[in-house]
Order: sequence, then C-alpha cells, then structure tokens
Amino acid sequence: MKAITANRLIDGEVVFWKAGAWVEGFGDAQLFGEGQDAEVEAVVANGKAQPTVVVDVYPIDLAPVDGGLAPISYRERIRALGPTNEPTHGKQAVGGEVIEALRHAAGAARSTGRVDLIRRK
Amino acid sequence: MPKLIKLTGDTAQWADDVFTHVGDDDALPEGDVILSLARFQAEGEILLSNSRRVGVRVEADQEVEALAYDLPRLSVVALAFPKYRDGRAYTSARLLRERLGFTGEVRAVGDVLQEQAGFMVRCGFDAFEPADGATPEVWTKAAHRYRHVYQRAADNRQVAFEERAS
Amino acid sequence: MYLYDPIDREFLTDRSNEFRHQVARRLAGELTEDQFKPLRLMNGLYLQLHAYMLRIAIPYGSLNARQARRLAWIARTYDKGYGHFTTRQNIQFNWIKLKDAPDILDALAEVDLHAIQTSGNCIRNVTADPYAGATAEEIDDPRVWSEVLRQWSTLHPEFSFLPRKFKIAITGALTDRAAVKVHDIGLILRKGRDGQIGFEVIVGGGQGRTPYVGPTIRSYLPAEHLLSYVEAILRVYNRHGRRDNIYKARIKILVAALGAEEFARQVEEEWGKIDAARANLPASELARVRAAFAQTRFETLPAVSEAFEAARAASPVLQRFVRNNVKPHKQSGYAIVEVSLKAIGQTPGDATAEQLEVVADLAERYSLDDLRVTHAQNLVLPHVKLDDLPTVHAALEAAGLATANIDLASDIIACPGLDYCALANARAIPIAQDIARKFADPDRAEKVGELKIKISGCINACGHHHVAHIGILGVDKKGEEFYQLSLGGSGAEDASIGRILGPGLSADKVAPAIDALVDAYLNIRAGDERFLDTYRRVGLEPFKEAVYAQAD
Repeated sequence: MKAITANRLIDGEVVFWKAGAWVEGFGDAQLFGEGQDAEVEAVVANGKAQPTVVVDVYPIDLAPVDGGLAPISYRERIRALGPTNEPTHGKQAVGGEVIEALRHAAGAARSTGRVDLIRRK
Repeated sequence: MPKLIKLTGDTAQWADDVFTHVGDDDALPEGDVILSLARFQAEGEILLSNSRRVGVRVEADQEVEALAYDLPRLSVVALAFPKYRDGRAYTSARLLRERLGFTGEVRAVGDVLQEQAGFMVRCGFDAFEPADGATPEVWTKAAHRYRHVYQRAADNRQVAFEERAS
Repeated sequence: MYLYDPIDREFLTDRSNEFRHQVARRLAGELTEDQFKPLRLMNGLYLQLHAYMLRIAIPYGSLNARQARRLAWIARTYDKGYGHFTTRQNIQFNWIKLKDAPDILDALAEVDLHAIQTSGNCIRNVTADPYAGATAEEIDDPRVWSEVLRQWSTLHPEFSFLPRKFKIAITGALTDRAAVKVHDIGLILRKGRDGQIGFEVIVGGGQGRTPYVGPTIRSYLPAEHLLSYVEAILRVYNRHGRRDNIYKARIKILVAALGAEEFARQVEEEWGKIDAARANLPASELARVRAAFAQTRFETLPAVSEAFEAARAASPVLQRFVRNNVKPHKQSGYAIVEVSLKAIGQTPGDATAEQLEVVADLAERYSLDDLRVTHAQNLVLPHVKLDDLPTVHAALEAAGLATANIDLASDIIACPGLDYCALANARAIPIAQDIARKFADPDRAEKVGELKIKISGCINACGHHHVAHIGILGVDKKGEEFYQLSLGGSGAEDASIGRILGPGLSADKVAPAIDALVDAYLNIRAGDERFLDTYRRVGLEPFKEAVYAQAD
C-alpha cells in the first residue's frame, strides 16, 4: 500500500494526494495498491509539475496497523501526526481514529520513508 | 547576432556579442573569439598577432593568475559558473580587477541568474550571458538593490563606514 | 550594545524588500525551487518536517528588551507561541509559513533584527562569549570584533557562495564559553608582547561527520589585521574547498588534507598579496564600534549587598540558585545571572512568548536592557545588581525560568531532532526529557556536579554531541531510533572530541544508561573531580562495563 506526500509551498504544510488535490489529513489520502506503480509514478510526476503548489513530492509505504493504516517509516508517521513532544501541535491536535492508529503504530522499515530512496541515488 | 548584457557605468544594456565562443576542437572562425585557457595558451599568441580581438574562458577550477602576463592584450575574460552556487568565479573576477589590474571585459557565463547580479557587479563583472531570460532592466535593478554595502570589493562603491565618516 | 544607525536600517529594509521580491517570483513560478532554495536559506528559512522554520540571527547572542518583546510577538502572531534557542545563539520558530516570511522580516527589521545568512553556504552568525562585557576574565570585549565581522561578512559579494557553511566564534576570555575550537574559524583574544590586542587564529575545527579540534594556524595576529587575514582564509577556502561532495566541503576537510602547516602557508601567502590598508577596518570605524559596547551605566556599589545576603540566608532555594546559576561579575556589587531554559520535562532551549516577555522586562529593569543567549540554549542577564537578585530570582521562578541546573546533568543541549527536523534520523527531545527526569532531584544533580550532556538527532551534530562529556547521537538502525553514546568530549578551552562508548542503544535504554554512567562515576571519582576529569583519568573501560556488562 502506498500514498503520495509532499509539502505545500505556501506554508510548508504536509499534504497527501487525493484524486487531483492535496489534502492535509493522512486519513484522507488516496491509497495505491499492488500493481498500481504506474499510477504512483504518474501522480508523482504530476506533483513535480506543480512547483508553485507543492515541493518534494514522493511516495511512502504504508502497512496495516490496529485501527487502520500507517506509514511504515517512523519519520512519515511524525509528518502525519506532528511533533511527539507537543501533542497539541500539528495534525494530531484534531484527534480521532486515524490519529490514534498512527500514534500506536510501531516499528519501521526505513526512517526516511522514501520508497525509491535507492533508485534516486 | 547574439546579444549579451553589458554594464556601462550604472546601467545595463543589450549589446551585440561580437565574440564567438570557440571549442577546443572547433575550426577557428573569422573575427573575435573566446578560447579556453588551454587553447589560448597553445594558439593565443598567433591569434593576437593577427590583430583580432581575443578573449579567454576560465573554468571555475582554473586559476585566473595564469593569464597575468597576457591580460593587457586580452579583450575579454569569461568566467564560468558551472552551477550558480559555485562561487569561485567571484574570487576570479575580483582578482582580475583588483590584483591583476584587468580593464577589459569580465564576462559571466554559464549558470548566470539575475538573483546573483548584485554580487557579480560588485566583484567586477561588466558583461553577462544570462541563463534565465533576464533583461538589462532586470539586471540594472538587481544590481542596485542595496543602497549601502558593508565591505570593499572591485566596484569601489563607498563602504558604509566611509559614508558615516563623510 | 551596537545600535543600528540609518545606514544599517536601510540595509535591512533593502534586504527584506529583496526577499519579498524573491518570494513573489517563486510563487509565480519564475524561480524554480532549486534556484530559490539558497535564496531563502540565506534568509534563514528552512523547509522542515511540518512547516517552514525561520532562524533569526541574534548577533553574538545579544538582545535588548524591545527585540525580545518583538520575538515574543512573532511567536504569538506567526507561530504557536514559543521559540527555540540554538547552539549558535540564534532563535528558531518552527511553524512559519512562506507567505508570512516577508512580513516577519519587516517586523524584525523594525527592531533591528534580521535572518540574514543564518543558513546557506555563506558566513553565518558570528558567535561569542555570552558573558562578554560582564566577565572580569576577558582581555577585550569579543562583541566588538564580532560586530566588525558581522558587518564585513554581510552580503559579502565574493564569499556568498562558498563550498559550504562557514561559522566563526570569538572568545575574549581564556575560559571558552563559545566553543571556538570546533568552529571553522575560532578566535581567541590575546595580548601581544607589546601589550597590544591580537588574536590566536584557529581554523578547521568542526563537528558533523568528521569532527576536529581546529589547529592554531597563527598564534598571534595583531587585531588591526583581522579583516584582511580572515579575507585571506576565506579566499583560500573559496578557491580550494571541495565542491564535489557536500560531506567533504567544509574548511576542516581542506585543512586536514593540506595539513595545518601548508594551509597556514597558503593563507599567509594570500594575505601577503592583500592590500592591508584597503582591506582592514579604519581606526575610526573600529573606535565607533567599540564605543557602542563601552559600558558606562554601572553604579558604584559595595562588593557585599546586605539585602542580598539576608535574602540568601533565609532561602535555601535562592542559595541553590546562586550556587549554580549566578556567576561573578567584573563590577563590584553586580552578578551574571543564567536563566535556565531546561526546566525538568520541558523541551530544552524553548521559551514561550510569556517567558520571553518576562525576561525582556527583567533585562530592561534589572540588567541594563541587556540579554544574552548562550550556545547551551540558555539565556543570561549579564548585569544584575546583587541588591536586585532576590527580586529577579522570584520573577524567574514565577515564570518557570529558575531551574537551578546550569552545567548540571539536566542542563542538556538537544537539537530539535526528528520531531521537527527534516535532516534527523531520530528524536532528541524525548531523550533529553527522560534523562532530565532522572536528575530532577536537585540534590542528586548537585552531587553529580558539572556534567554536560548533549544530544544530536543526526550526524550533523547541531546538538554538539561530539564535544559533550556524555554525547548522544541518534542513528537510524533499520528504521528504529537508536542512540550511540560517547564520552569525554569538551567544547571548552580543553576541547576534545568524545569517544564512542559502544553499540547503539534503543530509546528506552538511554536514560538508564546515563544513570549507570553517573553511578559508575560517583563510585570512581577522586575528590571533587568532574565526570569529565574522572573519564580522562580512568578511560572508557569502567564506563563501558557499567552500561554494557549487564545480565540480560
């Protein structure tokens, strides 16, 4: 399972691709399954073609956790939640199921969360 | 005829670029040419004695002092910015002006962007081949954005502490 | 302090207008992100994990009340009500929007603040001893020279696109509170044989992937030659520093590759070609800058303040505060007061807008409108009358700013880490909080004594872990946060790089490991040696055993 993330240019907010738009909540992100690599690449290319909207567009790996899905990478979970030293700051402040699922996810495969890290280099 | 931006006094204007950049393996065309440092060191003498105007292109990793004895006869020194964030050409320009006394054209070539115009002008560049579609108006504006400067450079602008003293 | 004149102010206006123009070009798509990034970095604007981070320059760590209040206002208006002080005496705001940045720079310029060159491959904030002008130890006030270098390096046209960042630190006292030996250029003010002022010049110190204590390349440089000599150093670096690999691009790599002797020779050769009369600062300008720092407002007071002594005798809390946070002042009847931003369980180095305002008020009323930032992420009220000390302490206490832990185990330096920073491998703040809680008992903390614990969330070492008595480096081990401990580093005049203790530990094992190290120290120490001294006497083994030789 993958999602596509970026930072919004105007304010640096972490955003996720959803059907042609960039949304702020991880729970609203469009999901890409097995065999949808071509779609993922197309969306990333699309994102890179919007340099006045978003910067740093890349796919992230997700895995099932209690209560939903979470990024495999620890870093991406922090991006989806907010800083762990201040629970009232960032996206986590809204609370709810998705936030709780993210909070309780554990373990990680790669802390930078970039799926294509090796290919990029 | 290709154009470049030339700085005369405080104003930048379009000028015809009469110099041809000649690669190391290219046949030499008629007229004024800009050669690489290596080719100049090999063939420059002959060209200069043919009374055509000659310029030399110095790469970022080449030392401009190599031209010290030839400068009086050179019309142009083109300093290359392989990437705009490679700042070695700024040093080369200052040395050309302030240490080696070069009074010909110091031209910025390569990844030359208007946001660095101010720094270039202060270091003694007076000609520019912009890579970002900049116009002379934009260049003049960018070069004069700051009413005050804090350090000496090749442009001999009055430094802040001199303004204070006057 | 140095007060901006109309020329300085016009400069800030021109700078913020330029940046506004650059942001507009970026938003309109006229600049690519690649072209825009160094421009915004040179105005201190990073894109971090959650938002943009703005790093505002606090030149040599010096602020007045008006500036501190404006920072509080910015925290409230454009951020989430707090700011973070850094290991280079700057302040960072974590939740900034790009579209607000030009307005913020304008608001800063109104009080003579800016974010010029707080990032980028250029000369950064020149840092200095936070006790400058207050300590009896100094040969000369390093702020004078820091301000001279600050102006000279501002938008220096030749040195704005260096191979990599460039950091300069200056100390006027032999006690080094500015970590000069791990900077690109470290300057130690010295008296020459002729009684004149000069500098010992250290080049090529640094941390990060390849830490070095910098070698002295010139043991004495007459002060009037500072600018021409620094120009020579920068020119050699600009020409010969590596540009092929960002991990090998700092000047420390060049100095190590050439060797200190050859590097010094190249600098001297270049320096010999520089027209000193043109390059150095005229005496009149030096006098003008120096006059800005001349302190004329001290009162003539007795060395002992009866009011203070009475208050101290009556309050063990005040006694502890004075023992740890109050330092001797050069002027009779005054004291230097450290304000700890390391309350137990809080984020190290953070201050709320309210706290900033309290400190601003105290600085204005009780410290001759003078406030400093230390590289240990604390604040200083440098000129407090002993008479006023009880009042100041009470006000700090009410604002949560009186933790009596300066240089103790809970006075931890921690970078923002993976909670905020796009470069990080692991979090640093929760580790700092866990450790601080182990030393929450002030008696225990004082029993342990001076112990400098520093935590970096990645190899960039913004938390200065290489020069910590106990250094902690966050690493990524198969995606999990692990922490590598090192011992025996020091950023002071006895500078040394710490040695790795052993294999990395998982997050939950770090605070217990610190406990074990401290227990081992308490068992081994001779007399009142500091942790660092015990380590230097007995080496790594006893400490390694304490942490790793456990039955599990």
